Amino acid sequence: MTSFFPLKILPLLVPAVFLIVLGIVWLPEHPELLENAYIHSFKTAFIGILLEAMPFVLLGALLSSLLRVFVPDEWISRWIPRRPVPAILFGCLLGILFPVCECGMIPLVRRLMQKGMPLYVAIVFILSGPILNPVVYGATLTAFRTHPWLAYARMGLAFAVAAAVGLIIYATVTKSPLRLSIRRESGEAHQLSARGGRLVSVLVHTSDEFFEMGKYLIIGCVLTAGIQTFMDHGSLEAIGGMPLGSYLFMMGLAFVLSLCSTSDAFVAATFLHTFPSGSLLAFMVLGPMLDFKNSLMMLSLFKTRFAFYLFFLIFSAVFIGSVLASFWL
Amino acid sequence: MNDPRSIRVHYLLRAVLLLGFALYIAHLSQQDALHYYVAPKLARWIRLCPVPLSLMAVSLGIQALFGKSSALCDCEHQLPRSMFKSTALYGLFLLPLLLGFVLPDRALGTAAAARKGVSLTYVSPEEGREERFAAANPYQEEFAELAGKLYKQPVIQVHPEIFSETFGAIDLYKEQFEGKEVAVSGFLYREQGAGGDSFAVSRFLVQCCTADATPFGILLDPQTQISLPADTWIEVRGKLHTAEYQGKTVVQIIPETVTPIPQPSTPYVYSNADSVAAWEQISSSPGVTEAK
Repeated sequence: MTSFFPLKILPLLVPAVFLIVLGIVWLPEHPELLENAYIHSFKTAFIGILLEAMPFVLLGALLSSLLRVFVPDEWISRWIPRRPVPAILFGCLLGILFPVCECGMIPLVRRLMQKGMPLYVAIVFILSGPILNPVVYGATLTAFRTHPWLAYARMGLAFAVAAAVGLIIYATVTKSPLRLSIRRESGEAHQLSARGGRLVSVLVHTSDEFFEMGKYLIIGCVLTAGIQTFMDHGSLEAIGGMPLGSYLFMMGLAFVLSLCSTSDAFVAATFLHTFPSGSLLAFMVLGPMLDFKNSLMMLSLFKTRFAFYLFFLIFSAVFIGSVLASFWL
Repeated sequence: MNDPRSIRVHYLLRAVLLLGFALYIAHLSQQDALHYYVAPKLARWIRLCPVPLSLMAVSLGIQALFGKSSALCDCEHQLPRSMFKSTALYGLFLLPLLLGFVLPDRALGTAAAARKGVSLTYVSPEEGREERFAAANPYQEEFAELAGKLYKQPVIQVHPEIFSETFGAIDLYKEQFEGKEVAVSGFLYREQGAGGDSFAVSRFLVQCCTADATPFGILLDPQTQISLPADTWIEVRGKLHTAEYQGKTVVQIIPETVTPIPQPSTPYVYSNADSVAAWEQISSSPGVTEAK
């Protein structure tokens, strides 16, 4: 980038400003252009998901920046057990301490990894955190008041899947799959010299994280809202008629709907009659671990190959786990 | 790495966008429009968001205007370097703001309900009764208690605060409620079918945000013909009746009157943790009794 950034931006800034002015001044006077039920459903779904995720993204970004500025690296490595099995248990239980929705998870986990958290513990935390926490447990129990064992099964399966994927990652991945190499020594020195001291540097960091994650979040919201607006639930339910088809269908639905882990149980509950309970379990376990918006975020954190390896592991673990669980249920 | 000068420009742009988000959320909560998008329990948290957002904007602004050049560095979070990438990034963030400010806030209606499929029965079904846990099932106890209270009413008023619970209780004991008088309000859902249109009075149940909104509806007797357009808000009074609809036993209303009403201030309904207590509270408050 050369020195005169503002001048270079001008040719693009002018039409952009023109469009904005047009949008604000002219469009409201011509509402008939926008009188379209699809646009309204789209907007309502899009803004709804975005607003819902906003507090969690901000919280995740804030926690991550606080960790970045105030917690020395040695602390993290001291807290985490050295041996894999206790470390995986530790990763699963972290979710109880940080009840962050999956959208806030990635910035927090990236920071923890930069502070020295081993990869497999981080993965276990990403997978279990959004499910194994008191808020989600309460919500699931409320949604399945008639079938409380589904709530227990959800917690159990999430734990099993997270632990299994963590163990496989521990055994198979040795090289760092992070996209950005970790530059630990470079940051600390000049962040302290930021104007306004540590507090301002926390806030600057938070907004960096916000923009970093926000773009994936917004793309995810656009896709999800589009699917919600144009996809017919009824036409897809026919696919669910086959015995294993229902599992695949519910997992696909969980992926494209990108619901928040505290509310997906209520949506799952509306399928209670049409689908076997094992497939609802798959829906509720896969959704928080893997969906549109968070897979985009994971792709930003991990190298593409590793990310797809991880997606595959999650998918197959949830599939096998929920089919097995359905025999027991 | 970007040079300090362009970092300042990025920071300023970001500060403006963050302020935009803060203003948008503040605007929504001031206009009392947040409930079009999220459930009240979540709206509490969203109302707090403008505080960190504007603090972030201010500190970015301070960095951009007064920060020492040596302290400005994007070594950890890469700022976009090419023009194209920057425009794409900030354009993406402008999108929700533009959509939010330009389009009016409007509740979900028939178009969305048709996509999602209106539920005509409630979650707790017949098979629930044969379940092994049925005896000690607090959910059905709650419904049973609510149903008992509703049954004593001369006209069952379906309050929006406990819409889904009332509906659930009636659905669970539909045989006993046969012929009872009911009054319910919602938007008119019209479904084109082979044997003419069918109508339902519906509400969206929102748990968290509009993404999980599920439409619930009570079918109106197929003999009724309504000339009102879809999405009109109506109040229906009539008698409950069970009937077969698309292979399922569902509760229907044989309407006596269908009156258009203005859209209520909260168009969606939310679930209630303790519907019996909520019912007691609503029916003991003076405002409701005059509604007959």
